[in-house]
Order: sequence, then structure tokens, then C-alpha cells
Amino acid sequence: MKKALPGVALAAAAAFALTACTSGTDAPSDGDGGTSVHPLSIGNFLDVTSWDPSLADIGFDGPYLSAVYDPLLTIDGDGQPQPGLATDWEVSDDFTTITMNLRTDTEFSNGEAFNAEAAVKSLDYLKAGVRSQEAYQKVESFEAVDEDTIAIHLTQRDDTILYFMGLGRSYMMAPSAIDDGSLATAPVGSGPYTLGASSVPGAEYHFDKVADHWAAEDFPFDPLTISPLSDATAMLNGMEGGQFNLIYGDKTAMDLAPDNDWNVASGLSMWVGLQFSDRLGATEMGKPLGDVRVRQALNYAFNGQELVDTIGQGVGVATNQVFPADTPGYVKSLNDMYPANIEKAKQLLAEAGYADGFDVTMPMAPPFQPWQAIIEQTFGELGIGVTFKETDFMQYMSVAPEYPMFVAVIAMDGNPVATVERQIAKPQWYNPNPGVEAFPEIQAQIDTVFSAEPGDEQIAAIEKLNELVTEQAFFSVWSQSTNTYISTSEFEVTPVIGMMFPTLRQIEVVG
Amino acid sequence: MLTFTLKRLVSGVILLVVVATATFFLAHAAIPDPTLGLLGSAATPEAQQALAAKIGTDRPVIVQFGDWIAGLFRGDLGDSWKNFQPVGAQIALKLPVTLSVVTAAVLLSAVLGGLLGVLAGLRPGTWIDKLVKAGAVILFALPGFWVALLLVMTFAVQLKWFPAVGYVQPQESVGGWLQSITLPAISLALGAVVMIAEQLRNAIIRADGLDYMRTLRSRGLPQWRIVVHLLRNSAPPSLTILALMFVGLLSGAIIVEQIFALPGIGPLTQASSQNGDIPMLLGITVVTVVFVVIINFLLDILLGWINPKARVK
Repeated sequence: MKKALPGVALAAAAAFALTACTSGTDAPSDGDGGTSVHPLSIGNFLDVTSWDPSLADIGFDGPYLSAVYDPLLTIDGDGQPQPGLATDWEVSDDFTTITMNLRTDTEFSNGEAFNAEAAVKSLDYLKAGVRSQEAYQKVESFEAVDEDTIAIHLTQRDDTILYFMGLGRSYMMAPSAIDDGSLATAPVGSGPYTLGASSVPGAEYHFDKVADHWAAEDFPFDPLTISPLSDATAMLNGMEGGQFNLIYGDKTAMDLAPDNDWNVASGLSMWVGLQFSDRLGATEMGKPLGDVRVRQALNYAFNGQELVDTIGQGVGVATNQVFPADTPGYVKSLNDMYPANIEKAKQLLAEAGYADGFDVTMPMAPPFQPWQAIIEQTFGELGIGVTFKETDFMQYMSVAPEYPMFVAVIAMDGNPVATVERQIAKPQWYNPNPGVEAFPEIQAQIDTVFSAEPGDEQIAAIEKLNELVTEQAFFSVWSQSTNTYISTSEFEVTPVIGMMFPTLRQIEVVG
Repeated sequence: MLTFTLKRLVSGVILLVVVATATFFLAHAAIPDPTLGLLGSAATPEAQQALAAKIGTDRPVIVQFGDWIAGLFRGDLGDSWKNFQPVGAQIALKLPVTLSVVTAAVLLSAVLGGLLGVLAGLRPGTWIDKLVKAGAVILFALPGFWVALLLVMTFAVQLKWFPAVGYVQPQESVGGWLQSITLPAISLALGAVVMIAEQLRNAIIRADGLDYMRTLRSRGLPQWRIVVHLLRNSAPPSLTILALMFVGLLSGAIIVEQIFALPGIGPLTQASSQNGDIPMLLGITVVTVVFVVIINFLLDILLGWINPKARVK
């Protein structure tokens, strides 16, 4: 929920390369050639959901978990999987087996060795986890091939598994801690830090640096503290008071940044607009939405840039697409398809037989109220009578898809195949009936995407699919919102689409 | 006294069961399927099913209630649906933070409010009386969150005398602990100080005009003994307000805890409401009700001690 809706928080991707690769980053060093350390105190928006990676959220848990656990794969700012404990990997020609080579110089903080057997145990545990299982839906089994090699056997091709693993679903845990069932309170990983005994749960987490960690130079933060604060003003006060040097920021913090010599990093996070949950017009109330001209009219009716300027206070990107702006899959020219034009919208409604509009009921909850007035006003101009059924924030996710359309603030993915799956092709809570089978051209293009050779061929297929769904007005997207991170001048953050707060690997010392 | 205590205990338990039962069914009616909110974007149908099985919401509500109420009588508040940790242990971690701030606020209110109230009551119409009355109007008119923000900006951000956010445990540093609760306690207490002072002032003025006070004065009692008598007769309304304030401040602390990023019951309540973590909400409700019962019980005892006429036979 935190990841999908504002108030809880309201995130550049690249082609998904299923090819072997390696990488590494250099840490800053002092004049003597040793690594310099910098105190880092982070103000995160939420407390860690759980120290057990199988129960953790990806959203705001990244900095906490990345401190104590090493992942098999990490991810870079472009959404590309990068080596972690897996040094390289290879995908079989039939795309159903991924073979990974593992590091051999790592041990868990309790002294247990990290090897293929330990990796398989963690992966089996993650596959069964209520929150982590999302990454392993198409996994048949994990196999320890030898001491430092594992194989992931898939039931079918899965172009998103490496992305989700890198996003935060492949943290490795000590086998004995899994057996003990103690991970939720006493994390045992092989990460660059261990959880300090002086931590106060829910208030301040202190971390002790592991001096001989295999990537210690990538984590020059010492001491490291992470504090959860669910109030933007409190975070800003802490930053101004010198208690933090990196926070999850808002517009006020952005405005104060130049005077304080703070760095600002923003990354796309969510799309905002109308989700058509009945684009087939299968229900009586949703019938008008079954006509593409009505859906297109609702695209012409709203001025995305105006909404960014007013409600978004100038922060965000006006677009009509669900693919994050300027990432693979996104097609800039499509933004010209529905320029704001209320007369054109009226004309399309009239052509569809709704010259006098129609009546519709939509759900409404407090986090979405900023858009209520503009919807009422715009629909009013089109003759559409809208009745808002008030509900609370918690119920919104359950009831919203029962209405033909609803105000949506939906988390985006940096991986274009994941976007195809989660926004277009596969049922999700916000799109329980994608209905793509009723659009043969779109269905055929989805099939093309899932069978295309990863890389340029697949990206081209995705861009074509994006063009088709935009033409068919699958959504009425107004804009894409951002996550912002404010840091003191010696730190720089690389936002990652799909994470509300990046991991420690995305924090760099620059000063 | 024993009968009084037993009656109070029984009524407290009945109140607890009634409020807990009502809260249980209201929460389940309001959040029929909590798995979506708990899983967020990871909410695939398979994950929802697995979570429902793990937290037991795939069973009839009445069965869930039976388990929960049985656990309650065993002192087991169940496990959180968000992080699967025992609710009791998590509340026990947060409660001392809230109690620290609220207790400090109540003490501050009692001492300052009492002092100002006595001074104003004994010298009606003087500058101190006018100051208390004017202060009451001004401080009542100021929103608590605004006062809190003003305090942070002045004493934490600019002067750096206190931390802007965060909480230090007393076992880590007593000085640090006092520093971390000072501004939040002042924020909470300001309104209460003037309320107590105003209440006490009026009660003293009222009591001062009664016959027994004239009698005491005519007997030539020293002023301090007269003040003691005055206080014994004027204190009950102020103590009642102080007790009500303690309960009120527990909920008022939510905003202050948010502004000062204190890891108390407030943020826990807010997060649990947003997540649909019903066991946690129920646990917080139970603990709050227990506190209400205890505070009222202690108030009755205290009032009886101060004023024998108030004792329940």
C-alpha cells in the first residue's frame, strides 16, 4: 500500500538483459590509499516492515535490509540487475534455467559459510514467503549445482525474475537463522553491517560496520544510523537541526536545498490518473467505457501539465503513459496523442452516443481528494454526472476495482517487461480483469513481447505495445510523480524506480 | 474500601470486554479483506491467499474472535499482521515513550498550573490573576501542533538546545532522555497548564468565600494552614481534570509524537490503521482502556483521601 498510494508516500529503467555480466564500483579513498569513512544518518519514511526478508516490503525497507544482508543480485539506477553475491549468471537458450556463480569469500555474521547450499535454502525460504514470493511465481526449483553454483529452474520463461531479485527479493540469510525462525527480530546475513545492540526498534537503528566485508569499500558509512519518521516536517526539522544527512524529502525540503547546500535527487515513482477497470464496458455503469471514444475523450479532457503544476506543486512529469518517462518502453511522441482539448472530448462523447454525458459512481478516499474537485469540474463540463462514494484509505484498494473507473496512484517498475505484466497483461489488485483478450491486436503484441529476444527486439515490441494501449486509451494517465531524496553535500543518491527508498548501494560519497 | 476496589475492578473488566468486543467487530467490518493493504503492490492472488492462511482470516470472524478473546484472557494480544511479531511486546516497546511524554506533561501541568492557580486564586483581580486569565485565552486559541513546531524551530533548529526529533532511552542517557521529551512535554502541557490554573483559581475563589474559611481565619490560623484547607477543598475538580487530561493526552500525543518523531503509541496507531493491522489496533485499544480504568481508579482513591466526603461507602 505504501508503495502504491500517496500519503504513505507517494519512482529510469533499461532493457532487461538476461546475459552474463559483472560490475563493481570504486569507493572514495583518503590520501593514504585507505578508505575514508563518513557518518551517515538516514531519515526514512517508514520503519522496517520486518527484518525477515521473506516478510519485508521492497518499498522503504531497502536501506535497512541492505545493511545487514547481501543480495544475490542488486540493481542499478537504470533497473539493470547487477552482481551481488552472484558474480555472474547465464540464461539458458530456452529461457527456463538461470545458472549463477556465487562468491566464495563470504560468510554470515554468525560464522556460517555462504555457499550454494545456503543460497538454495534462502531462495526456497523466499519462494514460500508471503511477501517475497512475488518474485518466484514461475520457479519450479532451486538447485545447488556445486559448492559455488546454483541453478534456478523455471516452469516457463520469466523475463522479470532477475529484476525482482535485484529489487530486494534475493537477500541471503544464514541457514540456522532460517531454521530458528528468528530472523524477524535478529537478522543474520552477510551484509556490510550488523544490527547494533543499541538500536531502539521503531526509533533509531544503529549498525556496526563489518570491517572485512567483501565490498566494504562500497559502504564507507560509519557510524550508520537509520531512523524511521513518518512525518515530512519532522524529517526536515531533523535535517535542519543536523541530526540527519539524508532524508526522504518533499517540495518544502527541495525549496530549502539551495540555501543549505543540500543535494536533491528525484526519481519517478508512480503514475497518477484514472484507471479503467471496466474498459470492456461489461457492467451497466461501465458500459460507456466499453467504447474507445469515451476512453479517449477522458484522455483529452484532463490537462496533465496543469495538474502537475497545481496539485503536484510543479513536481512530476506530465505524460499519458504508464511506462516511466525516458525509460525503455516509453515513447515520447505518444504524449502528443491526447493534447488537452475539452471540445474534442465532447465531440468524441457525442460520436459515441453520449452527447449528454452519463452517470458514474467512483470511490473516493482521503489521499485522493486533491483530485476530486478537478474530476467533478471536468466531468461536469462533459455532462458526466459523477457520484463519489466515500470510503476509507484501507478499503479503497479492495473496493476501487469494483467501480468502472477510479483515481489511481500506481507504483511503476523500472523494468519494461515488469510494466507490461503488472500494468497491462496480468491481473493485479488495481486491474483484476485486464481484458486484453477483447483487443486482439494488443493480445498479439503482448505475446510478441513475451516471446521476443531480450534486448532491442523486445524493447521495440514493448514500445509498439505502448503505442497500441495508448491508442486504445487503456488508461487516462495525467502524470508521473516522483520520490525525492535530500542529502547533505557529501552524499549523492541514485533513485531506483520500484523502490520508494533506495538501498545503501545507491548512496555514494561525493564530498 | 475492599468492596469499592472489587466493584471498580469488575466494572473495569466489563468495560474492557465490551470495548474490545465492539472494536473487534467494528474493525473486521471496516476491513473485510486486510490482505491487500498488508501486501501493497506485492498483492498477487497467491500472496493474498498465503497471507490469509498465515494470519487466519480465512476462518469465520466468530472463530477469530473466540481465539482472540481467549488469548486476551491469557494476556496474549496475538501477533501483528504486518510484521508477525507479538503485539504485546511491540506495545511494551512503545508505551514507555508515550507515557514518558504524557507523564512529564501532566506533572508540568500540575505543578505550573497549580502554582499559577493558587497565586491567582488568592489574589483575584491582581496582575497575576489577569495574566492567568489572558494566558488561558491565548494558549487555548493556539493550535497545539503550531506551538510544537514553533518550539522545534526555535529551540532545536535555531538554538540547537534540544534535538529536533528522536527519542533517547533513559537507560542509555538520562540527560538525553530528558532532552528528548522536554519539547514534546511542553507542547502537550501548555494548554493543560492554563486549564488547571483557571480551574483551581475559580475553585479557590469560590471556597474562600465560604463560612468555614471565615471561621478558620477568625481562629487566627496562619496563612499557610488556611491555604492547605483551601486546597483540600478546591483540588478535586482540578484533579478530575488532570486525570481526564492524562487520558486525553494519550491520544493528543499522536500529533506531538509525529512532529517530534517519537516512537510511541501514536505512530504505531497511525501505521496500524493505514496497514489494516487489526491485532495491533485491538492491542492498543485494550491497553488504552486498561489505562483509563487504572487512572479513574487512582483518581477515586485520591479524591477520597483528600476529601473524606467523596469516599464511596
